[in-house]
Amino acid sequence: MDGRSLLLLALLAWPCTGWSVEGDPVTSVMWNYHHARLLDGAPFVFDEQVRVLLPPFAEDARQVPILVDASAYRGQVVRILAWAELNPIAQIFDFAPGAEVLPRLAIRIRIEQATPIRAAVLTRDGIWHVGSSYIDAAGGGCTAPSVVRAEAGWEERLGQVLGKRFALADSSRLRVQIAHPMDNGLVGGIPEFYLNQAELRDGNGKVLATLELFPSVSENPTLSLEVQGEGETELWLRDNNGNEFKAAL
Amino acid sequence: MRWILVLALLGCALVARADFDYGLQPRQIADGVWLLEGSTDNFAQNNGGNIVNSGFIVTAQGVLVIDSGPSKRYGEALRRAIATVTDKPVLTLWLTHHHPDHVLGNQAFADVPIAALAATTALLAEQGEAMAENMYRLVGDWMRGTEVVLPTQTLSPGLLDVAGRRLRLLGLRGHTGADLAILDETSGVLFAGDLLFYQRALTTPGTPGLDVWLRDLEQLQALPWKQIVPGHGPVASSAAPFTQMRDYLGWLDSVMREGAAQGAEMSELIGVAIPPRFAAVSLSRYELIRSVSHLYPRYEQAQMERVDR
Ligand SMILES: [Zn+2]
Repeated sequence: MDGRSLLLLALLAWPCTGWSVEGDPVTSVMWNYHHARLLDGAPFVFDEQVRVLLPPFAEDARQVPILVDASAYRGQVVRILAWAELNPIAQIFDFAPGAEVLPRLAIRIRIEQATPIRAAVLTRDGIWHVGSSYIDAAGGGCTAPSVVRAEAGWEERLGQVLGKRFALADSSRLRVQIAHPMDNGLVGGIPEFYLNQAELRDGNGKVLATLELFPSVSENPTLSLEVQGEGETELWLRDNNGNEFKAAL
Repeated sequence: MRWILVLALLGCALVARADFDYGLQPRQIADGVWLLEGSTDNFAQNNGGNIVNSGFIVTAQGVLVIDSGPSKRYGEALRRAIATVTDKPVLTLWLTHHHPDHVLGNQAFADVPIAALAATTALLAEQGEAMAENMYRLVGDWMRGTEVVLPTQTLSPGLLDVAGRRLRLLGLRGHTGADLAILDETSGVLFAGDLLFYQRALTTPGTPGLDVWLRDLEQLQALPWKQIVPGHGPVASSAAPFTQMRDYLGWLDSVMREGAAQGAEMSELIGVAIPPRFAAVSLSRYELIRSVSHLYPRYEQAQMERVDR
């Protein structure tokens, strides 16, 4: 059985059966499925200290802001995975912050319907700490026609980056928006075309953090990272067609 | 069509008023001027979308109706309500703007000219179907049979004589990009449409900008009005709605401007404290969440520069 029929089955079963897992802070029938598929069934705890901040409802299902904050585990974080359980493309990002980068990421995503959003944080002891939240939605964000592609001259702007560095108390927040259609392959026969890789590097090219992106990320992705120190950083990005882009912050 | 499914599902479990009676009670607010005041709540199954103010003016020859409400049922109820206070025929329906709660009763006025600003008609043609579908989702069976009906006449700003009654029309932009305000010079009643919300948080999908909206308010306030009918919220005979709107718009603008300057995330901004002076403004948190979604990207971009190399 492929993933889609499993998803469908789970949805159909929702009203009748309680497949939800003990201790799960959100109502979900998909936890076991994603736990097995994305976390290889590894040990986990539902953990409120992993904060998943988002609006209670999606005003624009094509641009839903989420903020994953695992600062409580600063210094212990290996990886952070995020996904929207009921999306046709569930995965959002796979983030590996190095020592100088905070385990915190803000990004905007598309959602197809009301869904739990999860962020699983792998700490050095091998445990996944899972933060959860739920968002209501009228839906359709994943299958809505591209806004970017409707704009004249979008190809010339591909990979342009708007950004700014904001000084915080003991770190800097790097906020960027990258011009890219992030085609997810679900709309109008347009094949997948999306940014799938990013790295934050220091002035000497040393990698500070790596980030894998999935096409549930919104068009013209908005990203926000926090890095320690004052030093210049470079954001490197690549899409699945091999186009590379760089920005200095 | 997604809403058909939604409707079918709702049909079984619905606890709404079985008779779908909006209970419209026309209230006379000036000589010949009548108001149907909606609640300041959000669209819900228990109000059928009647969260809006509509009105009508009885002239020597007939009735000028202002906005048709959120559904076919509302439009029909409005026709019946008008007939309870006058025998005169309905002459025409004017629409203040294209939002669904103001125009989806149009079917009940298909026998008379329906008039709006040209840009309102264009916006309704573009967005009407999606907005109607969303209304079905929000208020369910109250919407049964409702379809989008486009205006048949175009209104232009300026003075207009309707059966001997002088009306001043203003074509403004702050709420949707095409917002009609109507001053009945005989009574001094100003139908402000959704350029004015009072005791109810304003909504921002489609606004060209809060600065544009603030300028519109200046223009409206300077008119020789005696009473104000906001699009949502109670009627006033003082400038209180203007004061509250300007205060609220200014606050909203500063939340997003200062947030963008400090690099705040959307998810953080939607949680900012709402000043106690807006405690009486209904749905302020809900609308803040929506407004941040609509408008914050512009404020963010104003702070950012090209950094690619
Ligand atoms: Zn409106």
